Amino acid sequence: MATGDLRKDTGRTVFGWLKSRFPTVPYADLTRVVLETDQRQMPRSHAEKYELKTIWYWYPLYCLGGISFVAFIILTITGILLGFFYVPDGRLEIAATGDLTNAAWQSMLTIMNDIPFGFIIRGMHHWAAHIMIAAVFLHMCRVYFTGAYKKPRELNWLLGVILLLITLAFGYSGYLLPANNLSEGAANIGINMSRASPVIGDQLATLLFGDINTLAGAYILRWYWIHVFILPLVGTGLMILHMSLVWLQGVAEPH
Amino acid sequence: MELERVKERVLEGRPGFPRAYGPARVDHQPGIPLFPQEATRDLVVIFLLTAIMFFLSSYLTPFLGPARSPQISELIVPDWYLLFSWGLLKIADIFPTFTLGAGTPLAAEFNPVFWGDVLSGIPIIALLLLPFLDRGREARPAKAPIRSAIGTASIAAIFTASLYSIREVISERWLSPNGAPLIPDNTQKWFFVIPPILVGLVTYTALRRLGYQPMRRWLVPNVTVPAIIVCAQSAAILLLPGWLGAEALPYVVWIAVHLVLLSAASAAVAVAVIALPETRARDVSAWTIVLAVLAFAGLSIYMDATDRNGYSWVLSVLYPNMNTLLLLPMFAVMTAWLGTRRPYSTYEYLLNECYQCGKCHTVCPVTKVEDDALGGLNLVYNTFKKQHDGVPLWTCLACDACSAVCPLDIKYSDYILEERAKVHAKMAADGGEREWP
Repeated sequence: MATGDLRKDTGRTVFGWLKSRFPTVPYADLTRVVLETDQRQMPRSHAEKYELKTIWYWYPLYCLGGISFVAFIILTITGILLGFFYVPDGRLEIAATGDLTNAAWQSMLTIMNDIPFGFIIRGMHHWAAHIMIAAVFLHMCRVYFTGAYKKPRELNWLLGVILLLITLAFGYSGYLLPANNLSEGAANIGINMSRASPVIGDQLATLLFGDINTLAGAYILRWYWIHVFILPLVGTGLMILHMSLVWLQGVAEPH
Repeated sequence: MELERVKERVLEGRPGFPRAYGPARVDHQPGIPLFPQEATRDLVVIFLLTAIMFFLSSYLTPFLGPARSPQISELIVPDWYLLFSWGLLKIADIFPTFTLGAGTPLAAEFNPVFWGDVLSGIPIIALLLLPFLDRGREARPAKAPIRSAIGTASIAAIFTASLYSIREVISERWLSPNGAPLIPDNTQKWFFVIPPILVGLVTYTALRRLGYQPMRRWLVPNVTVPAIIVCAQSAAILLLPGWLGAEALPYVVWIAVHLVLLSAASAAVAVAVIALPETRARDVSAWTIVLAVLAFAGLSIYMDATDRNGYSWVLSVLYPNMNTLLLLPMFAVMTAWLGTRRPYSTYEYLLNECYQCGKCHTVCPVTKVEDDALGGLNLVYNTFKKQHDGVPLWTCLACDACSAVCPLDIKYSDYILEERAKVHAKMAADGGEREWP
């Protein structure tokens, strides 16, 4: 090795070093599976298999889960972009004009007015959220009315209910973040609802909102963390499980 | 192998029995390839969705109001998908307020916000329990009328709870001519409960009817009781002194016209359902719906154009009683029509449960003697696919042997008789009956 040509041996040496520590051959084998997907046939639905024609008009309802997932991907992309510019600091400050303001709301103004394409990124985030929640709700209705939650899909239904709650929590935390009057009102309602739980009410409100009132503005940072870390982590994991179960068990159609 | 050859021959030409799965499959109906067909279809949906989002965000900029401040003067309304929870929070003030264990560290206050939490928790718990409560095997909405009725009632309840959450807006913006709220809070509270119940009942009646059930036992109470309530309340409003205030009295004629219209529509369908045969009752309810809607719309347009003040007084009588005077007539006519409707598409609905077990073909006496039917005729399946070439339609004995063995209880001879009746009706309509006077 030492006597060899350096130019000729470098590649082999470097890749050999890498290869002995990160064996890629078994993984490279997986590419064959990927190539075979080209040949893969989507499983035929019951209606296709038996050439049924009467319930064709239900079929658009079967892409609602997919629509909510596409909306979630768009939300992730636009959310990452918004996160570059958003400042999760809701503490009250006095502006030069004498009005009350805060750093979070100021950063929203910056996104809307100064950042190139900022307003359209925020608009995409806003409308994708509405579309996702509507699609999730309609998806639940479709699953309910076609009885798709029945054996053996009970577990997937439970996952779906948790995902519905996570989606609603995404929406709620999302409109707390601009630190405007709407978020103040929503935070007040949330704090009151948490405080109404018997015995642990105040502790629960302090845990979720940082305080038992909105005055200090601690709820912005706390719900920012919930919105950008906890909910995406739990939600993405559960979504993967949810879709894997559909993949394994097949689409449940009425027949 | 001999067995393989036999299998080949038996399954020859029968759809739905693929011999192999995956890329090697050679039967006549392969699945849809992922690429490019399925991928194209998905990309169309994805691009359309993205385009809609771009369009919305270009033209409808999301709201960013003033920065947060401790004094909130304007009415705060949460996003639409949380309105139902907010409505439940507001409706919870009907529950009692008390404190358990006051003065101890474990004091629990039962206030409206707590009851609102409980009310919001009920749907979540119901959703979590659903797959363990509903364990039947029926998947189709039309064949599970109770489940479907609960579903539509819940959707209606989400709407009415969301509406109740803006009760302050309704009380401020909609006023009767004397300045009082047009819809009192009590009426709004009942409006949260009553529409879901009515929607559930209508759904149940309509779906049972789709399955060819005679719905008379449901129709008679569901139509007559609302009709009696509407007529009695209209009579009370008009005849009992003191129901109409002195201010509304000059407009009593117009109020009477509206009340008589609503009472007449409900009474007409009630009489039709009780006294007439089903086909006549269906016609009467259909015409009642058409005429009542036209009359009501014409009346509103006419009064809005000529006598706005009088119309305001009419509305100030109707709206406080909207749960009875407006909802019940709508419920009565809809129930009467849907409950007597001719469920023309249901037989296809029933036949498509067939999974080609072939038991009907085995027991059918006609297939043993009819030449046309000897080879591979699967009665129900081929009929559903309209591939029977008329053989079962005109040679069927209606002996019902097929229904007796059908694992899915498909009532085949009912279908045959229905189809024959249709053909006869068509022949009669074409003038066929003149040949046999």
